[in-house]
Amino acid sequence: MLERLLDLLQTGGSHRISDLAEALETTPEMVETMLEGLERMGYLKRLGKDCTGRCTACPLAGMCAAGGEGRVWAMTEHEA
Amino acid sequence: MSSCHPVQATVAEPTAEQDTLLVALAGQPNVGKSTLFNLLTGLSQHVGNWPGKTVERKEGTFTFRGTTYRLVDLPGTYSLTANSAEEVIAREFIIRERPDVVIALVDAATLERSLYLVAELISLPAPLVVALNMMDVAEQEGVRIEPEVLQAAMGVPVVPMVATRGEGVQALLETVDRLARGEIPYNPKPPRIRADHREVLEKIEALIADFVPAPYPREWVALKLLEGDREITQMMKERMGPKRWEPVHEVLRAHDDALVAVASGRYEWIGRMVRAAVTRPRTGQIGLTERLDRWATHPLWGLIILAGMLGLVFWLTYAIGTPLQDLLDTYVVAVLADAARTALAGGPPWLAGLIADGVIGGAGSMLTFLPILVIFFAVMGALEDIGYLARAAYVMDGFMHMMGLHGKSFLPLFLGFGCNVPAVLGTRVIESRRARLLTLLLAPLVPCTARMAVIAFLASAFFGPAATLVSWGLVLLSLAVLALSGAILNRVLFHGQRAAFIMELPLYHLPNWRTIGLTVWQRSLAFVRKAGTLILAVSVVVWALSTFPGGDIEKSLLAQVGRWLEPVGRWMGLDWRLMVALLTSFIAKENSIATLGVLFGAGANGGLADILVSAFSPATALAFLVVQMLFIPCVATVGAIRQETGSWRWTLFDVGFLLVISLLGGALTYHLASLFW
Repeated sequence: MLERLLDLLQTGGSHRISDLAEALETTPEMVETMLEGLERMGYLKRLGKDCTGRCTACPLAGMCAAGGEGRVWAMTEHEA
Repeated sequence: MSSCHPVQATVAEPTAEQDTLLVALAGQPNVGKSTLFNLLTGLSQHVGNWPGKTVERKEGTFTFRGTTYRLVDLPGTYSLTANSAEEVIAREFIIRERPDVVIALVDAATLERSLYLVAELISLPAPLVVALNMMDVAEQEGVRIEPEVLQAAMGVPVVPMVATRGEGVQALLETVDRLARGEIPYNPKPPRIRADHREVLEKIEALIADFVPAPYPREWVALKLLEGDREITQMMKERMGPKRWEPVHEVLRAHDDALVAVASGRYEWIGRMVRAAVTRPRTGQIGLTERLDRWATHPLWGLIILAGMLGLVFWLTYAIGTPLQDLLDTYVVAVLADAARTALAGGPPWLAGLIADGVIGGAGSMLTFLPILVIFFAVMGALEDIGYLARAAYVMDGFMHMMGLHGKSFLPLFLGFGCNVPAVLGTRVIESRRARLLTLLLAPLVPCTARMAVIAFLASAFFGPAATLVSWGLVLLSLAVLALSGAILNRVLFHGQRAAFIMELPLYHLPNWRTIGLTVWQRSLAFVRKAGTLILAVSVVVWALSTFPGGDIEKSLLAQVGRWLEPVGRWMGLDWRLMVALLTSFIAKENSIATLGVLFGAGANGGLADILVSAFSPATALAFLVVQMLFIPCVATVGAIRQETGSWRWTLFDVGFLLVISLLGGALTYHLASLFW
């Protein structure tokens, strides 16, 4: 299941967890668990974790586009 | 099964002839390990460090049915690979000390996540009991787990419990006791490596068979070698010597994907366990989210909805904010400026000018902008809170893909919609230095919140009822420039390679007005602070430069600087005052408004919006907004670019590049718009 997930991710583009779960015929919780595993193995990198580094001088920069409640991962050079 | 008291209070006192059994408590962080440990050991605990490590070691004793148990709390870990000191400590303890029983505490509400560690523990040579903690939370979340089915599937005892309420603790102790005494059959069914790697595993096992030191299990060592475990690889290398290690190394090198094969076997196992024992009823909220997402994340409808949402944001901002801003302009700024002039009539003329034109005209004009900002923050905050903004990101990626931009540069650029600084810092995800450099040079083209807010004010001032359409068009223009630049970047640097990213989209929910209110309050307060400090200071400097020497603005120092810029401004229909306003936006984007306020004597001669609309043609106004949208970023972003590139040459190149793009955009807009107006 993990290698199928990696294959799907290697096709590129943006993926939603629910779509990945459907493609792998599993649950979103299972996909999340595998994503966290891939992150630990270095295949994925979590982005915008806490949106640190935001411009502190700018009061209008409170919004963190990729942060919020959801989480975002990107593939690393470890892929392939 | 429930008991809220420490366990030693409910069990028999130890006798002299009893045994001492060793129990290890394993689990991920935050699954309630400390709660269970404290519940079982009460006051009889000892806290120290693991030998040679700075990791805390907790140990305690308890008695149950005449037996004393020594309980060791292992560090919280997600797996048993040598990724961290905690993971090495946990597995070394189990392998070397061989506890009589290992309790794996798992969170029933997030069983999949917790079971990865169990998949590793079950392969170790110590009897395992799985304690399903937080059953109450799982139940509240609608997750139904059948412990006996899980037990049959894993082949190890499973005990449901709620450690915070002491529920299930007695049953857990009974199970531990009986398992330690061999009264429960123990037939674990551990995960197996993916079928296509089983032969490799056997080959490694055969090669290392005579060299695996006791007490390490041979198959486990072989598995860890395939996983590329640093500690175990080092240990076996040393024990085997270079000659004997070479064939092992050859096999490992030929199967460098084995890490995924091993982990895959574990995830297959977890999947089987969960399918067998867990039922997750689909909640109404999930159903609603999926129904809405069918539209909101659709490649075409999603884009139309996003464009509609952007339009709605601007429409609401103008429909509610502009009348309020007009009121503030007329009844607060103008009245205050008049009052200041009257009050200071007897004093030196420069003082009345400083207060009425510099402070009230500059920073005061900025404050009339507050209602527009509050509405803007509130609408964006509501979209963020109900979960729509994450969908906007997802849809935008689809759009960027259509435009040819789908490289790793997308995400850092997307971060720029909040603020350009994290966009610049976010380029660190791009490994290639060349690609990273170009992405961060493009990052300031993303319309940040501050720039959007300035546009929100100026579009309304210049275009009145048509402001929604103009703002909407400016954002689209900005995105088009970004997509075009990104597409070129992707073709040149990433050779069309498509990078992946995965988004966890939150469930839609009703907005929490308190959260939104708090966000609006904090952001507005920060804005007022900025208006009262940085913007006020710039307003005063602009006023001083526009007054001295002589008091005639047309002969002032600022006019001289502005006139020097005027030949460039003429291509775009901008006079020297608009050029100066652009220049001051380098300190902070909002300074454009404050500068216009000072230079046009807002407050004294009516609201800034009224003055601007009568002073400039629509073509000039549009050109000014286009330049403002694409202009060089604020000083904080330039600082971040300097920091990330480590080069003043690249930083200045970027400033020059953006200057050219914005001026070209402005000139083109002016000449095109002049054909119609």
